[in-house]
Amino acid sequence: MGLLSLLRRLKKSGGEARILILGLDNAGKTTILRKLSEEDITTTTPTQGFNIKSILHNGFKLNVWDIGGQKTIRPYWRNYYENTEALIYVVDAADRKRVDEAGFELAEILGEDKLATVPLLVFANKSDLITALSADDVAESLSLFNIKDRPWQIQACSAKKGDGLEEGLQWVVKQVK
Amino acid sequence: MNMRDAETGEMMWEKHAWPSAWRSEEVEARIPADVMNRAAVSREMTFSSAAAIDDFRLRQRVYLGEHCIEEWDFDFGFVIPGSVNTWQTTIESAGEGAMLDPTQISGLVCIETSFLDGDVVFNKSVVRVYYEQYD
Repeated sequence: MGLLSLLRRLKKSGGEARILILGLDNAGKTTILRKLSEEDITTTTPTQGFNIKSILHNGFKLNVWDIGGQKTIRPYWRNYYENTEALIYVVDAADRKRVDEAGFELAEILGEDKLATVPLLVFANKSDLITALSADDVAESLSLFNIKDRPWQIQACSAKKGDGLEEGLQWVVKQVK
Repeated sequence: MNMRDAETGEMMWEKHAWPSAWRSEEVEARIPADVMNRAAVSREMTFSSAAAIDDFRLRQRVYLGEHCIEEWDFDFGFVIPGSVNTWQTTIESAGEGAMLDPTQISGLVCIETSFLDGDVVFNKSVVRVYYEQYD
């Protein structure tokens, strides 16, 4: 189960859609992307740029962009907002010290004109760790309940184990017109 | 560059180091013929850029002899200075019976990749594909 089978069930033909994955460094963005294609995740290293997956099915092209989350790279995020149809924001739910930082960056992103009204999925990742915050707590910390200008959803997941990824992705794909 | 079975994630072929002449000369890739039996295959390229690029685009054409059998045009837009980036494309097979025989097309398939900034081609690579049988 992954992106390809999701796309096969979508019965779309023709066209193109762009999904953008953002989040702090070490949140698990690349691991999620790799896991969604059943790829080996043990060799994942910090992304120093972008990783793109383009999947073609029935003439419909899905492009998923994962941009590095290190502090030095974040100023470049804005270069990748255009034409985004869904945003996935990944939070390390077990890194309690950085949840505020994650919330600050998300608020910045949601204030961008180019991403106005773009549907948002938040993955509360690493939920398998006992120190992890619940999805509700993450939603609270990120002030998701105040979002009024777009559809949003939060999904607890473990990128490492694969739990919750499919549920989240299904929601995202439904938002893509 | 690497190739995987896109359904199982299994790495089928991987090449890390390219000859220094990859920009100017055709290079060879020897790929297991078994890729032709898979329902979906992904092909991934890793590239780095020391400088920022404003409007980076790739044009990829896969040729069988003279005929273009696969086309990918991709607009990356901005490339971060000092970055390492990957681009993976996944395609599904034409289905049983519609697939080409790897022994017949070995050496006839070329992946031509043009690297552009805006409309200016600043690099081009040609990889000739040989399909090899492993027991």
